[in-house]
Amino acid sequence: MNADKLLDAQGLACPMPIVKTKKAMNDMETGQVLEIHATDKGAKADLAAWSRSGGHELVQSIEENGVFKFWIKKG
Amino acid sequence: MTNKKVAIIASNGGLFDAYKVFNIATAAAATDQEVAIFFTFEGLNLINKEANQQLAMPEGKEHFAEGFTKANVPPIPELLAMAQEMDVKFIGCQMTMDVMGLEKEAFVDGIEVGGAVTFLEFAKDADVTLTF
Repeated sequence: MNADKLLDAQGLACPMPIVKTKKAMNDMETGQVLEIHATDKGAKADLAAWSRSGGHELVQSIEENGVFKFWIKKG
Repeated sequence: MTNKKVAIIASNGGLFDAYKVFNIATAAAATDQEVAIFFTFEGLNLINKEANQQLAMPEGKEHFAEGFTKANVPPIPELLAMAQEMDVKFIGCQMTMDVMGLEKEAFVDGIEVGGAVTFLEFAKDADVTLTF
């Protein structure tokens, strides 16, 4: 899936993946897609909740070799 | 979208307490919520410039130090700075500071010093209130 920006949050523990995602999103325009790579297992539920509460769309999330990948469209 | 408000009371001063407080606070701030933390009694350790560099683990739990390193959990001063960067409001309890003989200078920059009412005024219409 195409993304406008990639955020590498691998190796970071809660709440850093969320904090970094928020910061990355601040610099993006509505409709743009941020791709996030994380290894924190909690990020899976957290990024879904974060997207919902912020009015963003979690377009896709997959797990690949222990890395969780997310694509979030800015709302 | 109107911002939700989160009001937190931090009244304990150990390392675990600090993580509970700052993790919730930074996560809330990163989710566009307005956050204020009232630091009272031992909770003041968390914003004390010197004390917060070396907060104690609960007795008998010192072996978790390795787990913190392994999980790459950020140090408390770093989390605190992040919270401030995201406009989390810190309120230091004036009464506790007087009791402990501490001046505002002992604490990180940018804190507000106030009494219980200062916190209650913020908390009265908060959507979430937490005590640690």
